[in-house]
Amino acid sequence: MERETGSRRETVRQAAALWVVRLDDPSCSDADRAAFQAWRDQSHEHEAAFEREAVAWARLDRLRALRPPGERPDRDLLEPARRSSLPGLSRSPWARGMAAAAVAALVVTGAMSFGTSTAYATAIGERRVVVLSDNSRIELNTNSKVVVRYRNGVREVKLVRGEAVFEAAKDARPFVIRAEGAIIESGNGAEMAVRLGSNGAIVTVRKGAAELDPNPSVGHDEMSLKAGVAAVYSAVGGQARPVSENEIDRALAWRQGAIALNGQSLEQAVAEFNRYNRQQVSITDPSISGLRLAGYFQTTEPKGFVAAVTSAFPVRATESADGTIRLSRRG
Amino acid sequence: MAQDDEDRRAWFRREILSLEPDLTAYARQFCRDGQTDPEDLVHETFARAIACRTWREVSNPAAFATRILRNCALDALRRRKVLTITAVADFERIEPMDEAPGAQTVLESREELRALADAIAELPAQCRRAFTLRKVYSLSPEDIAVRMGLSVSTVEKHLVKGLRYCSDKLGRRIGRKNKVDEGRSWSAKRDHDAKR
Repeated sequence: MERETGSRRETVRQAAALWVVRLDDPSCSDADRAAFQAWRDQSHEHEAAFEREAVAWARLDRLRALRPPGERPDRDLLEPARRSSLPGLSRSPWARGMAAAAVAALVVTGAMSFGTSTAYATAIGERRVVVLSDNSRIELNTNSKVVVRYRNGVREVKLVRGEAVFEAAKDARPFVIRAEGAIIESGNGAEMAVRLGSNGAIVTVRKGAAELDPNPSVGHDEMSLKAGVAAVYSAVGGQARPVSENEIDRALAWRQGAIALNGQSLEQAVAEFNRYNRQQVSITDPSISGLRLAGYFQTTEPKGFVAAVTSAFPVRATESADGTIRLSRRG
Repeated sequence: MAQDDEDRRAWFRREILSLEPDLTAYARQFCRDGQTDPEDLVHETFARAIACRTWREVSNPAAFATRILRNCALDALRRRKVLTITAVADFERIEPMDEAPGAQTVLESREELRALADAIAELPAQCRRAFTLRKVYSLSPEDIAVRMGLSVSTVEKHLVKGLRYCSDKLGRRIGRKNKVDEGRSWSAKRDHDAKR
């Protein structure tokens, strides 16, 4: 809901929206109309912004179709909880069938079931979305694996390898993620990313809240994480810090098939690319490891990344017999 | 003159504004490094497009708007202090938007109604109530003020807030986050990503 109210665009659009609302008010005076004309004549920016808001306002008139016949005005008619019961909004049988088919297809392909648990995995360079029976979603990054077990009134998911985003659907049963010995209890409707590292893991909460217990066998050092917080943890404990929305988006750029760099070192960038590709990149000259990079790259195109690096920095790339791309200092 | 201006605005509404979801998607390609806001580019594109006095000669509005957006992106790039290594390369690579938007932006009427109701449902309670009374029941702001025990200017504020939220939402692609679509088109989406 919150938008950056300071931006120029938003200021103009707000003003335009106010004019749209005023002009559509039956009590709008001639003086108001004249003031509007003057405002609109100030710039084409005003003129265009007004047209944009006016068109949206007119489109919203379609909502009249939802009005139940003969009833007194009900201001909570469009309340989220009641919306699904509105006749005009019920899903068509076709859409419902497609939803069921989509879920079934996702559950069937590439899933291995053992008794009550089911494993889902991705290969290097692969990404995958799994929709579970309760509509919770798991999005697996490259070379990752989860084991899902819903039983005894608990929805439990174990991240065995790699990285995944978990979106817990609203449900009476708790949604629990196990990763690196820790237990993360996700709030209903929460969305978080968990990434395993060489020693421990990092959990980033994007929506909602979560409780993190880094080492349940030792006792009580639970951490409460809310949206916009990332926690790095291992068996010895955890540390949380706030992260901006942009930072979260960059960390999760893989969901769009991308790696977003914002001042990372060449060494870190190379390590990131190597997660996604069989063709590996290596740095043979430590003096270039610290070069800082920014930009947006396709995860599966290490060559594009290497080309960008060699054109921007004094770096040379050579391909060795086994296909590894070696980076060294040029000149 | 007045009639001519009205015609020009009608052309803008019909041919250019309807391109917004496609233009926003296109603008995002120029903003990959997060230094420019794609919506700012679209906003500026609209302002430049509506200023066009020779609109009658525009044969392909999508190509016309795309060209303007490219220029806006180039101007934004020139204003920058720090150039990232991909920004310039990106700019060379991005091709003009090929066609006018096809069927994907034209929503089925029931779908559009649901999208609108979804948008309203996401508003804060007071804002949603004022909006429901105005748009579903067509009550005037004065009537709503009396009914809700608020001042007319507060009702106006709620309506402005609701409209702003909905117009931005309508300007993006509707239904993209829909679970059904995502499940169904996952492989297609990956192919699309791979092509990019």
